[in-house]
Amino acid sequence: MSGKEAIFLELENSIKNYDKEAAVEAAKKALKMGLDPIEIIEKGLAKGLREVGTLYERGEAFIVELIAAAEAMKAAMEVLKPEILKRRAEIKVSGKVVLGTVAGDIHDIGKNIVAALLTAAGFEVYDLGVDVPAEKFIEKAKEVDADVIGASALLTTTMLVQKEIAEAIKRTGLNVKYIVGGAAVSPEWAEEIGAAYAPDATTAVEVIKNLVQQRRRGL
Amino acid sequence: MVHLRKIKPLEVLSEDAKEYIHMLSLELLEKMGVKVHSKEALEILEKSGAKVDKEKKMAWIPPYLVEEALEKTPKIVKLCARNPKYDVRLDGKHICCITDGTGLYTIDLETGERRSSTKDDVAKSALIIDALKDADLYYPTVTPLDFPKHAHVLHEYDAAVNNTEKHFVSGATYLREEAIYLIKMAAAVAGSVEQLRKRPIISAVTCMMSPLILPLGETDAALEFSKHGIPVVLMTMPLVGATGPITPAGSVLIGNAQFLAINTVIQMKYPGAPVIYSSYPLSMEVKTGAFAVSFPEADLVIAGHIQMARYYGVPNFAGGTIGSSKVPDEQAAYEKALCGLMSMLAGGDICGTIGLLENYTVLSFEQLLIDYEMYRMMVKLAEGIEVNEDTLALDTIYKVGPEGHFMAEKHTLIHAKDVWMPLITDPRPFLTWKKAGGKSVVEVAREKVKEILATHKPAPLDMDVKRELERIIKEGEEKIPH
Repeated sequence: MSGKEAIFLELENSIKNYDKEAAVEAAKKALKMGLDPIEIIEKGLAKGLREVGTLYERGEAFIVELIAAAEAMKAAMEVLKPEILKRRAEIKVSGKVVLGTVAGDIHDIGKNIVAALLTAAGFEVYDLGVDVPAEKFIEKAKEVDADVIGASALLTTTMLVQKEIAEAIKRTGLNVKYIVGGAAVSPEWAEEIGAAYAPDATTAVEVIKNLVQQRRRGL
Repeated sequence: MVHLRKIKPLEVLSEDAKEYIHMLSLELLEKMGVKVHSKEALEILEKSGAKVDKEKKMAWIPPYLVEEALEKTPKIVKLCARNPKYDVRLDGKHICCITDGTGLYTIDLETGERRSSTKDDVAKSALIIDALKDADLYYPTVTPLDFPKHAHVLHEYDAAVNNTEKHFVSGATYLREEAIYLIKMAAAVAGSVEQLRKRPIISAVTCMMSPLILPLGETDAALEFSKHGIPVVLMTMPLVGATGPITPAGSVLIGNAQFLAINTVIQMKYPGAPVIYSSYPLSMEVKTGAFAVSFPEADLVIAGHIQMARYYGVPNFAGGTIGSSKVPDEQAAYEKALCGLMSMLAGGDICGTIGLLENYTVLSFEQLLIDYEMYRMMVKLAEGIEVNEDTLALDTIYKVGPEGHFMAEKHTLIHAKDVWMPLITDPRPFLTWKKAGGKSVVEVAREKVKEILATHKPAPLDMDVKRELERIIKEGEEKIPH
């Protein structure tokens, strides 16, 4: 096995072992070897994550394992990012998604699960965290040319911010798809404010995949 | 797979009450006496020092004999299996799961119709038990009505042993000859009578009668099993308010006296014979006289008997996942959940009794899986909360901090495999569930049953053994009186 092959395997295994520290170390090592960051992702990290994702879909891996794998991937990506920017390299992604828990709400576990599943499905996720006002979603989506905005709300009182976001998208004429979720949210509410909806994280990934396709086909 | 009970049993009887019930049981056996239909049992009692009237078939047993018998009764009973990895050791600390038995009808898996039960039903339910990890013992769920009834026990064992490697608990035997032929079959599977004694791969239920009757065939069969070192489940079945007093305390007392009477007969003849204390009472609905296994009075009697068994240090067959509903519906669910949990919390050793409806007369394959799911939940509850440095997860809590989450932590990944996982319970939100077909748990259970029946392959018996079993059954069909 060449040194290159060995490092790709090390990267892949660090993700499959859900080992954040090992993933970061392997990414540093790979950069030091002068490898292309896109190759580091595609032939190493993402390969590992795809395998965990497949196991999860087959019911053979736990969701916590998939999330741990996605977090290890995320940590390694932080190491690679400066080099990617420097080289102005393009990462092939399934789509770009801006996610956040809306203003007034700090319940984020559901949003975090969606973020992890999206990462595992090859999306680039911009997680704005919690208590995010409507304008922040819009700003970020504009900045990164996002395909989809996802806004989560657990409380009936904070659901109204989801409507504000919908209105802001319309007002600004931003070319972005919009999905809402969270315990308080119903499909009826989503329809009322003109957003897509998913009842759980796995479905959310499916719906977001469709939204990206729609946007790219100009629908 | 047996589970370790870590929570303290729930008390329905105080220490004083247990002692008092014991004293009164002794008094009843000595003063009122017990009706004994078995000649052999009467002779054993007479020889041991009990006062006996052979004409009236009555025995008056002095307390010292009962106490002596209790001293001889083993505290630990091993229920071995065709495959030793399925051996179960009843030690008062572990909980295991058994099927319920023995019914007469089956709700057909294909047509949904309630029909007479067949040998194929016995075989199929045994195969399902073989496949289910947390099911430990097979008690024939139904009796094969498509074969000669006088040899039903032999056909039940034949269907079971060909489909599961787990321990077989025979349903009630009514004749000594039935026991003799069942023992022959088990010895053929075990290798020899000596091997069977060393590793009893079967045990047998013996039903006593209320108020205080030791019936002929059942008692003789129990003696026959004990002679061969085969554990006997001594089952009392008071009908609360009919063949037992209407108050739970009174029915606990009468059932306890029954257990002590038959146990004395067995231990006097075969000291150290393994026995299991069991209680299958029914409540009476006082308005109509209908009987139900799952009403609170019957349930309390079971709990009381479990505690008397523990008081004596004798393993118990507690059962509990029982009900009088006719179909796998909401009534079945709450009856079985409440009764099953009560038995387990009260200190049951052999729990479960999964699969039957309508006062243990009707097999439903769907209910079998639903009951199994409930049993798995209950046994997880009985394992309680383990508290130590690792389970408190303090280091991980510090690491995550006040705002993080635990989903990707090593501690979570390590312990995720210990978390209870559903087999048929659907936790998904409405739309996801609906998109997947919007199936009720009964439908999900039916699909799972069909999947198990289509895919699970139990370890077959040797051809020689199979042929020998067929020969013994044929001989039994001729020789067992009918």
